[in-house]
Amino acid sequence: MPPSSGLRPPSTPNSNEAVTIGSARMAATAKSLPPPESKDAILTRRLVILSFWAIVLCLGLPVWWKTTAIYRADLPLQVMNDWAEGKTCRPVFPLRIAFEAPALPLQDAQHLLRTTQHALDDLNEFSAHHLRLMPAGSPVAANTSQHSQGMTVQDGVLHNKPDEDVAMLIRLVPGESGSTPRAELQSYSPTLEVYYTSNQIPSSSSTSSPLATFIAHELQKMFAEEQATLAYLLSTSSTAHNSKMKSLSPETASALERQSTRAFKYAPTYHLTFSLFSPTASPSEWEIESALQEYISPLLQSLSSISNFTVDTQVQLYATFSPSIHYPEFDAPSNSWTLRREDLSGFINAAEWPLSPSIGAGPTVNFVLYVPNPSQSPLLVKENGGNSWLVPQWGGVLILNPEPSHQNNGTAKILTQESLRPAMLTFSNQLFSLLGLPQTPSSLPLRLSTLKRVRAAALLFSASSTLGALARLTKALPSISIPDTVAKSVDQTIIHLHHACSDLRAGKFHGALEHARIAEAEAEKAFFERSMVGQVYFPDEHKVAVYLPLLGPVAVPLVLAALKELRSLRTRS
Amino acid sequence: MAIDKQKAILFGAAAAVRLLLFTAFPSLPNLLTGRVEISTPVTSFKRLQEGLFLYTHNVSPYDGGVFHQAPLLLPLFSLLPNPSTQPFATNLLYTIVDLLGASALMQIAESGQSVSSRLFTSPRKALRWSNIAIGASFLFSPFTIATCIARPTSALANFFVLSSIAKATQGASITSILALAFASYLSFHPILLFPPLLLILYDAYAGSSKGPSNPLAFSLVHIGGLAAALGMLLYLSAILTGSWEFLAATYGVRLLLPDLTPNVGLWWYFFTEMFDSFREFFLGVFWLHILSYVGGLTIRLRQQPLFVVTSLLGIFAIFQPYPSIADSSLYLALVPLYRHVFPLMRYSFLASSTLLYASFLGPAFYYLWIYAGSGNANFFYAITLVWSLGLSVVVGDSLYAVLRDEWEVERPEMRGKEVRRI
Repeated sequence: MPPSSGLRPPSTPNSNEAVTIGSARMAATAKSLPPPESKDAILTRRLVILSFWAIVLCLGLPVWWKTTAIYRADLPLQVMNDWAEGKTCRPVFPLRIAFEAPALPLQDAQHLLRTTQHALDDLNEFSAHHLRLMPAGSPVAANTSQHSQGMTVQDGVLHNKPDEDVAMLIRLVPGESGSTPRAELQSYSPTLEVYYTSNQIPSSSSTSSPLATFIAHELQKMFAEEQATLAYLLSTSSTAHNSKMKSLSPETASALERQSTRAFKYAPTYHLTFSLFSPTASPSEWEIESALQEYISPLLQSLSSISNFTVDTQVQLYATFSPSIHYPEFDAPSNSWTLRREDLSGFINAAEWPLSPSIGAGPTVNFVLYVPNPSQSPLLVKENGGNSWLVPQWGGVLILNPEPSHQNNGTAKILTQESLRPAMLTFSNQLFSLLGLPQTPSSLPLRLSTLKRVRAAALLFSASSTLGALARLTKALPSISIPDTVAKSVDQTIIHLHHACSDLRAGKFHGALEHARIAEAEAEKAFFERSMVGQVYFPDEHKVAVYLPLLGPVAVPLVLAALKELRSLRTRS
Repeated sequence: MAIDKQKAILFGAAAAVRLLLFTAFPSLPNLLTGRVEISTPVTSFKRLQEGLFLYTHNVSPYDGGVFHQAPLLLPLFSLLPNPSTQPFATNLLYTIVDLLGASALMQIAESGQSVSSRLFTSPRKALRWSNIAIGASFLFSPFTIATCIARPTSALANFFVLSSIAKATQGASITSILALAFASYLSFHPILLFPPLLLILYDAYAGSSKGPSNPLAFSLVHIGGLAAALGMLLYLSAILTGSWEFLAATYGVRLLLPDLTPNVGLWWYFFTEMFDSFREFFLGVFWLHILSYVGGLTIRLRQQPLFVVTSLLGIFAIFQPYPSIADSSLYLALVPLYRHVFPLMRYSFLASSTLLYASFLGPAFYYLWIYAGSGNANFFYAITLVWSLGLSVVVGDSLYAVLRDEWEVERPEMRGKEVRRI
């Protein structure tokens, strides 16, 4: 029906009735047809409708497209999944062990080395972790690492610098006294000294010898815990590794689990807080600074290749027990006050003792030294008479009972460095446990390097699984936006994971740890990107509720006017 | 002579009222400056003082994110003595600006553009108020007086808009374009008035003895002029502040609405409730909404471009991001020019009572929300909705009346009859 003559104001979206009044005609002569519209009026009306539609189409649509498009940066999903499933990197831990036999002729030494290696290979059930013997100081040994960073060429002579990539050194020492062969592990250097008698050197024809077997067994024993830890890590972190796993006995697995739940999550920096709590006014002073200098600093120094540490101390007097635990009971037979074992977990009065959960970026490791009231001294744990315990992932507690000599004149005002010594030794042991340092072998450098490998592997797995989670999230929620920073972080993670993996393969565990640490940090950053999760719970139906109330009323007159105009155009033509 | 005398009396009385209010109630300017209905983040006199302080201490006035006004205001106001100790100069400036605005409004009325343009002459053209009455309705409107006392910079923008229209009706291209450039420079949205103003100028040009010229060349010349004037102002601002960062701090704020201080408009509440991810989209929608009226109204009311300007000003007073009653006062000042269509308007009672209702209850509801704490944001938002409804009834109803007026020229036999929509 062609519209009749008269008013045709623009169909303004804020229309009220007055604006959208259509064509009009007399009410009285409703039956008579109004005169036809003039050409000008039709043209004007079309131009007006066109001008509104031009703005909607030329400006509105691009604005809509641009502002509501969900930006999704490209993520290498396949690569991320491969990492998570362990397809990209099969972590291996080739440990290079230098073999030094200064007293032996080269020929014999090499033969011994070969037979020992054979014996080792026979013993090893865990293919990812293998020990590789090599003659000490040989250029070949150093060159097997891709960048021969252990060697420098100077004046045409090869100088062997201490190579941190060599895990340990076996030194064969001819010794006639005592039982032979016997092995001694040095506590403060990664050196195993093996004493032998000359008749134990295998002849060049034999393929095995007691000495070689002995060395192999020793090594295997030393690295058993590390192998178990790594195997446990592999089994828990990813399903893909299970097939080639060395099987663990249930006891070992539960022990390892206990150990790993006890330890802190890896962090590049830890804060150590040493606190002295006393229910009375004394001791009010402790020589903590010199004690730390003496007993803790060397440890931190040696741990510095893995993490950094900051230390602070505090003294809190009149610190009362938490009301939730039982008051200590006097135990007549042992003449001591006892705490019940189940109360130990509530010993820390979290409400009143100023032990802040975290200072700055890294986690805080708390060490609490509690000096009981002289009237309740000595205070011990009821079940085993101990005086220290460890709070998993939190820190350690030690009850320092004043020595009897002091009890004559009450508690000493000052805790001397000497009296702090047992406490500090306990704390350092607790620190090792809390950091996840393995119990064996006895040599500290070896334990540290084990920790390095374990941490590197753990970080590698954790970063990989974070990548996998991110990839799954991206696939599962097509409506979330993925900013460029996430893509960048993912790229960084993958690059550093590659480096970490190849460093592991090359036996450069320190570099592997560094790269794995960066990879882990970047992966976490990508996964917890704030702007990504904002729209997670925004289903598509909600968009109707967003668009319709405002745009619906605007669109109805626009669309209807356009339709009417189009229809009139068709009937006319 | 009688006219001149009346004009002098009117201006004298208006100036006296303002200066009396300024001096008799010294705390009144500060009180009104703090009212959200008058001072918006982009026009507030207080924020201007802050920017001025930074400017006179050689710090970029836009540091701190408080000041969002045009940089060229700073040298102007830094010439005046400190308004907190010697407010007289500032008060006098704002009074003079109001009087000049009224004078421009009276020039518009004098031109008779509202009743008979080049292409259209209303059959009711005899029915109109005198220039003096129209000037008085602007000068003694409580909204205008409150605006003047509160001293927002939108008073200056209003003056430039009025003088741009006045010069356009007189066919003075250069001054009109220059005034429009100033108005757009100060408050951005007046640039949308350019198409109808161009039509007024073209009509004036074509109607004069020079004869019709090529419309395309005419508009290109004027677009060029506007661009040159705006470019000049922006360039001066950049020299003054030493960088182009003022663009983001002034026009960026108007475009992107980072400051959600309540005002009488519709945007602030909407955008406090908005999902973050749709914010940009709806900013675009709201701005396009304003923009869409320009083309439609200009084409439909080609014969009466002055009415397009009036209606657009009404639409700005409702739909711009930071409206205040200063914008409403400007629109309500131009409405009396259309006295001849008042008989055709059907909702005058509704519109006027709604506006009165909102202007009395608005401050009360704001008080209940912010100070008494017995109301919430919805109280104030509801009253701003009523206010906007009242204004849009005026806009819509006057639009209807003007169209009806035009239609009766086409079909004289319909005069005075009821119309019905089919």
